[in-house]
Formats: sequence, structure tokens, C-alpha cells
Amino acid sequence: MNTEKLWYNIANWFMIRPRTSGFLLFLFLVFTVIIISAQRVYTISENQDNEMNVILNDINQSIEHSLIICYTTTVALELSIDDAGIPQNFDLIGKELFESNPIVSNVQIVPNGVIKYMYPLKGNEAAMNLNVLTSNSLQKESNKCIKAKKIFFAGPFKLAQGGIGIMGILPVHKENKFWGFTAVVIKLETLLDIPRIKFLDKSKYEFQFSKKNPITNKEEFFIPSKLDLSKSYYKNYAMPDSDWNLYLIAKKPYSIYAEVIIRLFLGLIIAIALSILTSRFLKKPIELKLLLKEQEEKLLKNEMKFKSMFEQTAVGFALVDASSGCLIEANDKFCDMLGYTSDEIKDKHFTNFTHHEDVEKSIQNFKSLGEGKIKEYSVEKRYITKSGNPIWVQLTVSRLWESNQKPSTNITVIKDITSKKEAQAQLEKSETRFKSIFENSPLPLWEKDFSAVKNHLVELDLMNKKPETVYSFFDEHPDELYKCVSLVKIIDVNHECLKLHKVKDKALLLENVIDLIDIEPFDEVKQQLVAISQNVKQFSIDSQIKISNGQIRDINLRWNIIEGYEDSLERVILSTQDITDSKIAEADILNSHQRTESLINTIDGIVWEFDFETMTFTFVSKKVETILGYTVAAYMGIPNFWEDHIYPEDREYALRTSKLVNKTHKNHDYEYRMIAKDGKIIWIRDIVNFVIEIDKPVISRGIMIDITIMKEAEKTLNNSLYLVSEQNKRLLNFSYIVSHNLRSHTSNIESIISLIESADTEEERNEMMHLLKSVSLSLDETMSHLNEVVNINTNIGLMISPLNLNIYFTKAKDILCEQIQLNEVSFVTNVTDDAVINYNPAYLESILYNLISNAIRYRHPQRKPIITIKLYNEKGENVIEVSDNGIGIDLARNGDKIFGMYKTFSNNPESRGIGLFITKNQVDAMGGTITVASDLNIGTTFKIYIK
Amino acid sequence: MKKTIIWIVDDDVIYQTIIQKLIKKAGVFSAHSSFMNGKDAINTLTNTIEESEYLPDIILLDINMPVMDGWEFMEEIKLIKSKINKKIIIYIVSSSIAIEDKNKSKTFTDIIGYIPKPISIEDLIAIVQSDENSAGN
Repeated sequence: MNTEKLWYNIANWFMIRPRTSGFLLFLFLVFTVIIISAQRVYTISENQDNEMNVILNDINQSIEHSLIICYTTTVALELSIDDAGIPQNFDLIGKELFESNPIVSNVQIVPNGVIKYMYPLKGNEAAMNLNVLTSNSLQKESNKCIKAKKIFFAGPFKLAQGGIGIMGILPVHKENKFWGFTAVVIKLETLLDIPRIKFLDKSKYEFQFSKKNPITNKEEFFIPSKLDLSKSYYKNYAMPDSDWNLYLIAKKPYSIYAEVIIRLFLGLIIAIALSILTSRFLKKPIELKLLLKEQEEKLLKNEMKFKSMFEQTAVGFALVDASSGCLIEANDKFCDMLGYTSDEIKDKHFTNFTHHEDVEKSIQNFKSLGEGKIKEYSVEKRYITKSGNPIWVQLTVSRLWESNQKPSTNITVIKDITSKKEAQAQLEKSETRFKSIFENSPLPLWEKDFSAVKNHLVELDLMNKKPETVYSFFDEHPDELYKCVSLVKIIDVNHECLKLHKVKDKALLLENVIDLIDIEPFDEVKQQLVAISQNVKQFSIDSQIKISNGQIRDINLRWNIIEGYEDSLERVILSTQDITDSKIAEADILNSHQRTESLINTIDGIVWEFDFETMTFTFVSKKVETILGYTVAAYMGIPNFWEDHIYPEDREYALRTSKLVNKTHKNHDYEYRMIAKDGKIIWIRDIVNFVIEIDKPVISRGIMIDITIMKEAEKTLNNSLYLVSEQNKRLLNFSYIVSHNLRSHTSNIESIISLIESADTEEERNEMMHLLKSVSLSLDETMSHLNEVVNINTNIGLMISPLNLNIYFTKAKDILCEQIQLNEVSFVTNVTDDAVINYNPAYLESILYNLISNAIRYRHPQRKPIITIKLYNEKGENVIEVSDNGIGIDLARNGDKIFGMYKTFSNNPESRGIGLFITKNQVDAMGGTITVASDLNIGTTFKIYIK
Repeated sequence: MKKTIIWIVDDDVIYQTIIQKLIKKAGVFSAHSSFMNGKDAINTLTNTIEESEYLPDIILLDINMPVMDGWEFMEEIKLIKSKINKKIIIYIVSSSIAIEDKNKSKTFTDIIGYIPKPISIEDLIAIVQSDENSAGN
């Protein structure tokens, strides 16, 4: 019994764990397969080893047999050597031995290591006289052999007579002394010509023969092979009496594994298949069990759901006796709503908790239902809770019996709608509040209904179209525009609205409403329609309306769609604020602003305003365009415009003044030049005023007046003044000349005459008469000089012509040639032959003559005179410069007199004091100037400026 | 009547001839010297500064002269005035009737008077007398 149970338990354990069971089975099978395979591998490889050992042993025995033959041969040869060490009958014995041992290819006697006897000799001549002890391939082995005193097989090596062979050498000792060797040569191929090797199964094995090289100590293989020993499975045998190794190599060392692996693989597949099948098989009953459980749970859940629906739903259920009206059963929610427990509410009549105002109607409904007039009814009514509070419920009563049956049970469903009712009351309240705000608003308000308009726009397919499209549609279809206007329904207007329109009551206003729409400018109506088409919620526009007395008022029209009516547009609040007065005020301000601006712009000067905080111009009047040619925008927009457009010569002054004035903030005016856009220089008089707030200038204002014309006039005036004063100076000079020079003569004459009158003797009188004559002569001379000067000064229309300067220069030199030669005067000049100046010919001749003759007259006594004449341009004026290296003039003392009449500065008897005076007058008459520069004892330079 | 020394500084040769005649005729001067310009006169004055008996009592000075004119002469005499051990009366005698010249002569305290040309014998005598009067005072 116990064992049975144990077995059942074990089986059950496996049954309920299909995956584990499958996996365990799999492990078991795999283990078995591996064991069998390993056993198989072991058996096969053991068989192979045995086979290989047998083959190798056979080969070894065959070879050893051959070697024994060799040994006997060498011993036989040894015996043929007599005690004296001379081989007896070698040819005979050699031949005999050779023929009786077919594997021997050659027999040799090697006394002292040198091959001396050989049979057969033919074909092996190359080996004759070879010294075995010194031969490279044999040296070491032969020595080793002498020491061991027994036969040694050397090689295989290349034979001197050709081919590969081995040599069996036997050391021969006579009287205990090494005498030489006896040797046999066996060709390697002959040695290995064994049936066991010949008939070896070449597909399975390969034979190899190796020897350790006596010199390099490396193993050398003698049968050509592709197999790598180190990677192959082999058996070997090391032969005694030589360093030979025999190998038998298995060609396919893994062939046994391949066979086993296939079996292993098959076994594995079977194991996997079996285990999967097992686990599948075991799984089935478990799945069925699970399904059952699921179904059970589902059923349970549905039951719970149903129950909780009845108990926990937000709706109250109650079953009422259809005949008595008493409650049979009610759910928790029903009880909760009324505040009773389910026990308390049982058997209660519904009128017990119905609000007294609703009782009558409730009874009526109940009756109708009981009489079968109606199947169900639904009302909103009030219940009174246990604590006495009224609640609003949505009541639905349905009968649970057929019309032809006896009334049994009604099902009553109630839903608490108290909060909804409260919200409704709230809404009504807010509506009232809205009404009162609407009515008492200080703004004229309208409540309108745009829904018809919107519907019409939908019909016209204008909703959400581009604003321009909508606008142009109404442009083209004025009838539609009228239609839309007529579709606007006015719901209400407020008191202020009546006031604006000056009408007594709403009815009157509504009657006349079409009139005010008439006057409404169409453009604004269109804009409103566009706004509606774009689903705009708010709109504002300045417009006009006509009120009842025909007066037109400016209004600001605004509308807002009341929340909740965004889609239907059934309620829209419009305000029409009267902005006529503010419009007028605005217009006044604009007018006065325009007037001021136009006034400013008529001022013949640039009016400007500068802000000290931002350091920028805040205003510049339009006059800037006419005065400077720049736009207002350029003047105000470009930084440092004013500074940059001041005439460079005046900039420093203007900026300095401006800075100073800004510091002292005293009203100020100053003058400077600016450069206009066309490059003209404009004289500006800038009158600056400051606006001061708390001792700090905030703004400076000013007017820049164009005073260019004034300045030009001033300049002309100055020029004239200069001319007049020049003339005056000359006149004074002239009057001085007259007063002094003429008076000196007249006073002399007067004195002489009085002396003549009072003369005592005739002689004295004659003397005086003589004196008088000379006075008259000099008077005459003076008169002629004066005449000349007068002529110069009165010659206004002097002829001016282009003159070649060099020709006139030469002329002057010609006149003065005598003095030039006498004083050895030299000239330096830069005047080219084609240099031309515009001048009066006579004056030019006279000027050059006077200046050159002066330069010669006032030459320095210690040096030869050099006169330099230059013509150049200085500030747009041609200048003739005449300089000398003469005595010079002390200009500090005589500068003011140098060009005066009869002014001489030396005791030079030739000085007449008239040349420079005439020259000066001539230069002046030509409109030019003459200047002088001089250093005492160095020289004098005159410059004549030609206008 | 003490005879006085008179110097004439003037570049006009004819005037020099005439004044010599007039000095002779006036007969109130012990000696007279002529100079063609201020420079000559100042040089002579500097050279004879030690011998006061040769220094002039009166100088008749022209304005317009080459080399050194009347005004320059006045500037020069200022420099050596302290060394001169004699009172020298200086009169400007000029043909100029320009008011500037007359006004300018007043700026020099050493100039006693301005006599416009032509000068007469009576003028010369009057100069000497006024000199004596002022000396007497």
C-alpha cells in the first residue's frame, strides 16, 4: 500500500511538472548516448593500435633481418684480412659475398678509414679512396663506432657513387690496435623493399623512416611525405645499433570520431524528440484544469457585479407594492439618499417621505399607473429625508406587471438632482444679475441675436473664408448686405441706449432701428460680417450713428459673444459708446498739433529739439530739407549727423561752444558753417534755448537759421570796406604827399620870396632867384610824380592781357643792362618761356624795372648781387617773387613806410623814394597786393600777388 | 643878449640854404650847424656831449628824413638825455600840416613846439626870446 502510494506520488510529481519531467528524461537519454559513444571510440582505437603495432613489428623484423645479413657480411670480410692486415683474395671473397647477399649493393674494406677495396668496383668508382674518418657525413659516426668496437649502421646519406644508402661499418682491430673497417653499403630502397611496406593499406597508413643527423642532431625523414608528424597519430620504433626510427602513421586519425559523432548526434535528436513529446503529453490535463478555474472565477465575478450594481450604484432602486404604495425593498443608495436604514424604510408608504407640495401629484401618477393607464412615468419631485431636508430627485416608476394582470410590483428608480436644481437656481439668479447690470450700465448696451446672420452666412458659404473674399462678396452683392442687416434680431436694449438715441421707450427705438442702420456706414457693417465669418468672439470699431433727432454721433461699437453662445451667436452684447466729444477733443489736439507743426515748418530755419537723457534729437523740422538738403529721417537717424556735417574749419569751435553752452545751460546763439548735401557751405546761426527741470537741462531747443546770404553780404561789405579803407589810406597818403611834399616846396618859395623882398644887395637877390628856380624844378618833378600816381589811381578800366613774363623780364634787364654789367649782377629764375600772366603791360614793365633796379641799387658792398625771380601759385593766386642778397631793410623800423612816397632809408644819393611808391600803386590798381620780407645784410624779398 | 647855438636837422637842401640866410639875418645866434638827417645829428651830439659849450641851445627838427627821421631822433636823444649837461630846446619844423604829426609831437615832452614851414626871422627871434624867458624864470 505504502509503495503504491509512493509510486503514485512520484508519478504525480512528474505529471504536474511536464517541463521538468521532459528535461530530466532528456538528460538521462543524453547521458546514455554519450556513454555508448565513448565505449565505441575506445574499442575502435584499441583495434587500430593493435593493428599498427603488428605492422610495425613485422617491418622491424624484416629490416633487422637484413641488417643481420650485413653484419655477417662484414664479419666475413674481417676474417679475410690476415694478421698482417692485408686482405686475402678480396676480389673473390667480395664477389662471393656480394652475390650471396642480394640486398648488399657493395662490399668494402677500409684500412685506416680510407676505402681501398670495393666490390663491385664498376659504377662505384667515385667512392674509392674516400676517407671515412674525415668525410663530412661519416666522421662522427665512424669515430663513435671505433670507440664502441661493434658494427654501426651509418646513414642513410647520399652516396658518393649516387643514390641514398646506408653503410654498415665494422671496426677491425689487429693486435689491439685499430686497423680499419670492413663495410657494406645497402641502398635504402633495397632495405625498405619489404612486402609489409609494399602492401601496406595506403589509404589508412603511411610508413616513415628517420634518423637523427649526427651533426645537427635533428631528426631527418627519408621518405617523402606530406603528413605533419606532430599533428598526426602514429606509432614508432627506435632501432638499436643505429639512430633510426620507424614510424607508422595513421592517415585519417579522426575517422573514428566522425563515425561516433554521427551516432551521438542521432542519439541527441531522439532524446530531444522524446523529451518534448513527454512534456506535451503531461501538459494537457493541467490546461484543462486551468480553463475550469477561469470559468468559475468569471461566474463569481458576474454575480458580484450584479449584486454591487444593485447595492452600490449611484441610482436608487426600490420595489413598491403596486396596490398599497408601500416599499417592499430598497437598495443602499435609495436608503442613503433618504437617510433611512434598509429596515426602517421597509413597508413605508412613499407619501411618508414625499414633499407635501408634490404629494398630490405623486398620488395621481401612482393611481394612473395602478389603473393601467400608463406603463411608466418620470417626474422631478422633492423628497424629504429622515432629517427633514428636502432633496430633488428624478423619479422614474415602471410597473413590473402586464396590463391584463393584477397589479403586483412597481420598480422605482431615483436619481439625486439637487445640485442640478441648485445650479439652475444659480443660473436664474445670475441671469437676473446680468439683466440688472445690463439695464444699469453707464454704456449704451444692446443684446442682439446674430444666429440668423450666421446661418445666412453658412448658406452663402462664406464661413471661414478669407476675410478679403467675404468683404468683396458683400461689395458685389449689396442686397445680401441688406438681408444680413435685417436678420439681426434685437433682443433688448438698456436705458443708456435709449438716452443715447434720445427716445422714450424701447419699442420706439426698435421701430426706428432700421433708420440708424441706414446711416451706419456700410464699410463697418461689412467688417462686422467679416468678423462673424471668421468666428471672432470680440469686435470693436469706431463708427457713426444717427439718433432720433437726426443728429450724427460718433460711437465706439464693440460686441462680445456671451459665453456658451459662441457657436450659435444667439446672444451677443453690443456696446455703442458715444465718443463724439472725445473725438472732437482728439481732432482739436490733432489740429493744434498740425497747426504747430505747420507753423514750425513755415519758420525759415531748422527747428530742433534735443533730449539730454538719450542724447538724441527728438525733433527736427522739415526745413532741414530745404536748407541742408538732407531728410529729417537722415538728420535724426544717423548718429553724430550734426557734428559730422559742420564745416571742418568750424567744427572745433562749434563743438566747444555747444559743450560749454550745454554745461552752463544759458540760452545762447552762435554761428558756424555746415556742409549741405550738394556740397554747398551754409552759414548757420544757431539759437539755443534750454528747458530746465530741477536745475538740470532736460531738453534743448533751437532754431538753425540759414544766414549764408547775410554772411555773403557781410563779406561783400567787408570787401568794400577794405577797398574803401584802402582807397582812403591811399587818399590820406596822397593828401599827406600833397601837404608835405608840395608844402615843402611852397614854403620854400614863400621863404625865398620874402628873402628876395628883404634882400639888401642885388647879388643876394640873384642868389635867391637862382634858388627859386631850383625849387620850381623840384616842384615840377614832384608834380609830375603826383600826376603819375593820380593817373594810376584813376585808371579804372585798365587793359589786361595775357603776357609772357619772360619777355617782360628780359625787357627790364635790357633797360638796366649797363648797371647789370657794371655791378656783375647774376639772375636766377624758375620762370619758363611759356609762363603767361594776365596783367597790364605797362605796369608789369614798370614793376619789374623798379624791383630789379632797387635790388641793384641796394646791393651789398661785399658781394656780387644775385637776383632771383620766381613765379608760382599760392592759394590760387599767381605770385611773382623778386628777391636779392642785398643790404636789406630794417622792417621793424621802416615797415610801415617802405611803400610811401619819398621815403628813403639810406644816404644813397640815387634814392628818390618814388619807385616802390609807384609800384605799390600799380599793384593796387591791378587788384593785387605787394608784400616785403627782409633781413638786414641778408637780402630782401618782394612778392607781388596777381589777382 | 646872450647868443645861442642853433642846430638845423633837415634833408631839404634848399631849406637849409634859406634857413642859413634867415639865421644870419636874425643875428641872435652865436653859431649854427646843419644836419641832413637825425643820425648825423645824434652822432655829433654824442661826440660833443662832454663839451657843453658846443652843445646846441635850440634844435629845429624836420620829421621826414632818410636814415633816421625826426621821431627816431627823439627816441635816441631820450637815451642819452641824462648825460647832457645842458637844456636843449627842440622845435619840430615841418612842411606837414597833417594833424597827426602835430599830435604826435605833443607826445614827446622834450618837444617845445611845432612850427609849420615856412619859418620866418620873427619865428626864430621868438624862439630865442621864449627860451630866455623860460630860462629867466
